[in-house]
Amino acid sequence: MNRNTAVGVGGLALLTVYLFFDLVGDWGRMAGGVDNLLVFIRESLWPPNWTVLEAQSYPVCEARFEFTCSVAWLGMVETLKIAFVATMLGFVIALPISVLAAGNLSPMAMAVPARVVLAGMRSLPSIIWAVLFVIVFSIGTLAGIFAMTFYTVGYLGKLQFESMEGIKNAPLESAKAMGMTRLETAWLVAIPESANQLLSHLLFMFEYNVRHGTVIGLVGAGGVGLYINTYLKLGQYDKVVALLIVVFLVVLVIDFISMALRSAVNEAGDVERPSWSSIFLPASIASAQHPTPMGGNTSEESE
Amino acid sequence: MGEPLVHLHDVAVGYDPEHPLIVDVDVEIIAGDVIAVLGPSGIGKTTLLRTIAGLVRPLDGHVELGVAPRGGVGYIPQRLGLVSNLSVQANVEMGVRVGLSRWYPPFFAVPKTQQRYAERAMEDLGIAHLADHPVRILSGGQQRRVATAKTVAQRPKLVLADEFLGELDDDNVDIVMRTVRTAIEAQNSAMVMVEHHEALAKQVANRIWRIQDGRLVEELSR
Repeated sequence: MNRNTAVGVGGLALLTVYLFFDLVGDWGRMAGGVDNLLVFIRESLWPPNWTVLEAQSYPVCEARFEFTCSVAWLGMVETLKIAFVATMLGFVIALPISVLAAGNLSPMAMAVPARVVLAGMRSLPSIIWAVLFVIVFSIGTLAGIFAMTFYTVGYLGKLQFESMEGIKNAPLESAKAMGMTRLETAWLVAIPESANQLLSHLLFMFEYNVRHGTVIGLVGAGGVGLYINTYLKLGQYDKVVALLIVVFLVVLVIDFISMALRSAVNEAGDVERPSWSSIFLPASIASAQHPTPMGGNTSEESE
Repeated sequence: MGEPLVHLHDVAVGYDPEHPLIVDVDVEIIAGDVIAVLGPSGIGKTTLLRTIAGLVRPLDGHVELGVAPRGGVGYIPQRLGLVSNLSVQANVEMGVRVGLSRWYPPFFAVPKTQQRYAERAMEDLGIAHLADHPVRILSGGQQRRVATAKTVAQRPKLVLADEFLGELDDDNVDIVMRTVRTAIEAQNSAMVMVEHHEALAKQVANRIWRIQDGRLVEELSR
C-alpha cells in the first residue's frame, strides 16, 4: 500500500468512527440492553410456537395434507406467488426501459429520462410502495404485487441496462454498420448477448422479492408478513419466531436453488456446470474437483 | 469501369483532431475492387475502415457513400461481431434481415427466401452442420467462417473486413476467399480488407493501399 492509499484508507476509517460516535451520542443507553434482550427471548420468543404449522381451526381444512391449511404454508405460498408474479411483471416492464436507458443502445436524450424513471422507482423501497398501494387497493395481495413490481422495475432495470452496457462493442458496431435498427440491435444483439446476466439477475430478483415479501406483508400487502404482523399486534411473539424460522428456511432453500441455476447461466455458459461444492468450497478447490467438461476454444480465447 | 460505391473526399482519419492518424485521403472504391489495406500496427488501418463504415466521424473532409445505408455495407470487425449466445444460423440470418424492410419485426423469423440465402452461405463456408450450435463453443477459425457467412448472406455492395483471415489455415483461407469473391462478383460489389499478412493480401487483392507516414499510398492497381 503506498502512502496516498494509506492516507485515504486511514481518513475513511477515522471519518467512519467519528460519524458513528456522533450518531450514537449517549452510550449509556446501551447499558442493560443485552439483559433486556435475554429476558425478552426467554419469556416471549422461545421456544417457538409450532402450532403455525398445524391446520387452522377455521375454515375447516379439506385438503389431503392438513399442513397445507396451516398459517405457515398459506402465508409462505402467498408470499412466493406474489414474489413470482411481481418478478416476472417487473422483468417484462423493465426490459424495454433498460434498452432505452443503455448508453450504447440509445442516445443520451433517451437514456437519461429512462434512467431517471428507473431511479425514481428504485428510490422508494418496496415497503413504502406497499404503504402507498395498500392505501390505493386496501389490504391484500394486489397491493403487494404492485409494490413489489414497482420496486422490481427500478432495481432490475438498473441491473439490466448495466449488463447491456457491458456487452462487447464488436457485435453492436457490426449491427450499426449493417444498418440494423435500434429495435433489431436490442432484440437480436444486446439482449441475447447479455442473456446470461439477465437471467442471473432475474433469479436474484426473485430471491430478493421472496425475502422482501415478508417485509411488505407487515404493512398489509399480503403473504406471510401479514400473519407475522397480526401475531406481533397480538403479542404472540413465539408464533412470530416460528414463522421467521420458516421464512429463513424457505429463503435458504430458494437461495441455494437460485445459486445453482445462476451458476448454470454464468458467463462460461454451457462450459461450466453448476456444482454444490462451488457454494461451500473455495473456488480453487472446487474447480480442481470439477474440471470443465469442454476445454474448447471459446470466443473469449479466440479473440 | 465499375460503378463508384464510396468516395472519400480529403478525409482525415483519427480520434484526436490535434493528432490525426491519416490525412488527405482522397480515394474512390469502385464495384469489383478488392482492396487490401497494409501498414504497421497502430497506424490507423482499422480506424480508416471504421470511418468508411460510418462508425467514426472523419476529422476533416467527408465520406460519400453510394450504397444503401441499410444492408449496403457488410462489416466484419477484428473481433468478428458475432452474438456468442445465439446459434450459427441465427447469426447468419442477421445478415439477411437487413435486406428486409426496417419495419419487419425482429421477433419474427426471416421469410423462407431469405432463409435460403443464409443456408446457402453456410453451405458454401462449410458450416451448415454447425447451424444449431451456439457460436461461443466454436473454434476461432469456425467463428471466422460464421462471420463471413453472415456477410455473404447479407449480399452487401461493400464488404469491410478487419483481419478476418487471421487464424484460418490455408485451406480455409481458400474457401473463404473463393466464397467472398464469388459473392462480390455476383453482387457487383467491392471489398476493403485490413490485412497483416502482406503476401496473402497481395495474392487476393487487386488494389493495395499502404498507410505510411500518416498518408494513404496506392501501390498496386490491376
